[in-house]
Amino acid sequence: MSGERDRWWPFTSSGGSRMEFKNFSLNISQTKVNRFVDELAAGRFMATVCKKCGKQYYPPLADCSNCMQSDMEWKQISNEGTLVTFTKIHVPPDHFAVRQPLMPFSSIQFEPCPFGLLQVEAGLKIMGWIPKVDVKKIKVGMRMKASAQILADGKITIVLEPI
Amino acid sequence: MKKVAVVGIGHGKFGVRSDASLRELAFEAVKACLDDAGIPLKEVESMVTGVAGDEFALALQPSAQVHDYIGFHPKPNFRVEGACATGSMALRTGIMNVASGFADVVLVVGVEKMTEVPTSIATEIMGKAGDSIWEYPFGTTFPGYYAMIANAHMAKYGTTEEQLAMVSVKNHYYGSLNPYAQMQKAIDLQKALTSFTIAYPLKLYDCSLITDGAAAVIIASEERAKAISKKPVWIVGSGLATDTLRLADRESLTSILASREAAKTAYKMAGVGPADIDVATVHDCFTIAEIVAYEDLGFCEKGEGGKLIEAKETYVGGRIPVNVDGGLKSKGHPIGATGVSMAIEITKQLRGEADQRQVKNAEIGLAHNVGGTGQVVAVHIFRRE
Repeated sequence: MSGERDRWWPFTSSGGSRMEFKNFSLNISQTKVNRFVDELAAGRFMATVCKKCGKQYYPPLADCSNCMQSDMEWKQISNEGTLVTFTKIHVPPDHFAVRQPLMPFSSIQFEPCPFGLLQVEAGLKIMGWIPKVDVKKIKVGMRMKASAQILADGKITIVLEPI
Repeated sequence: MKKVAVVGIGHGKFGVRSDASLRELAFEAVKACLDDAGIPLKEVESMVTGVAGDEFALALQPSAQVHDYIGFHPKPNFRVEGACATGSMALRTGIMNVASGFADVVLVVGVEKMTEVPTSIATEIMGKAGDSIWEYPFGTTFPGYYAMIANAHMAKYGTTEEQLAMVSVKNHYYGSLNPYAQMQKAIDLQKALTSFTIAYPLKLYDCSLITDGAAAVIIASEERAKAISKKPVWIVGSGLATDTLRLADRESLTSILASREAAKTAYKMAGVGPADIDVATVHDCFTIAEIVAYEDLGFCEKGEGGKLIEAKETYVGGRIPVNVDGGLKSKGHPIGATGVSMAIEITKQLRGEADQRQVKNAEIGLAHNVGGTGQVVAVHIFRRE
């Protein structure tokens, strides 16, 4: 797998292009907001808030573009809200692509997982996988809650479920 | 602003061009453009190259491959990048060059060779035009982003999958009449509606293509334009605007703020409004994007885009013909070349050279080009004398 990728992909040496990060399935290997991961592992969704103007950022940002300053504090935000949109990607990008099986005459059944955007407060939306609802039954406006989930490989991601 | 006109156009064949390298594709368009303008390269003073992806070119400085191969050195070449809006940003940079007096005759080249990497890698490169840190980990792709816009639009305004498919049917019809198009094949509604899902609810025929290709224009100051061309097409409005990197940070998921802002600037500069536009090319990377563009550019009320295509108002003969060159959907979408290709189509329409696709007596045209999901948008307005 990686052999094929390396042949085509010369830009893999620095953080960001591969999923190699602190125990997490988000691409944040090197950032000032790594605390987000530890908080999420403990079940808390955290935003950052600018101490000067009060603007909230989710995903958390280390710097406030509203004030051009970096004095931020962490704040837990609600994990419940309204689904504002969603999709289910059938033709995935390379990281998520299913490889041809090595066994002759075998096949891989690929059933992708939908994901969506959950608005929990004005201006704050949480992106998460929606593993338990058939895509045709997902509706914009559904009430859902976000939670952290540990994947089989030990990494943490975010899922959305109806409430 | 000093007056600037398009005085030469050159379009290469769009498609899977495994027969040609990036620099050779660019050469085809530049050669055709010089022939059209009727001037030798030595009369061109400066050059702008729009090429979006080092990741596609598998090299840094792909623009140097282009200026070297056409023999432009030692004159200046300036590279521009803005994902799918790269070509229009190159055009705007060229306009700035002429308007500022840096140069009187400028060559603008847009080129991309996207098929040298496998489709899954191309899908990844495009997906990372969103937020590579916070969105891509959910497997986001370009169709995925626009599928989220589609689902939001359908929920809010009742836009239907049939209306999306109607955009595809129109653009394929006009692509079948465009010799430079990647897919010169008309389709029916049934074929579009029954194609497989790429990102729910977008299907294969809702999506533009992965394409190799190049396009070039020569633009010039008023004095030089009148000397070079019998039919100069004046660029009377240029707007460029930006929006948030992440879709999640947008107030609206059913409209592109940067489109509205860029259009406002361009309309104001040109002294015209949406009702004055005779023909337009808009960014139909996905069918929903064309419907949202109708609304953002003021061709119809917000939420009425689906009805506009249903009433066939965007066909030749309708109220506002849109993408009658086949659009990104059928002509193809080599991302660095697309914006330049749009300018070429509008120039042809205003010169009266669009053959079977000609909009009768077209005098004012508009080109709308979106980078990513609207992180950057350029709108240009053109007018014949």
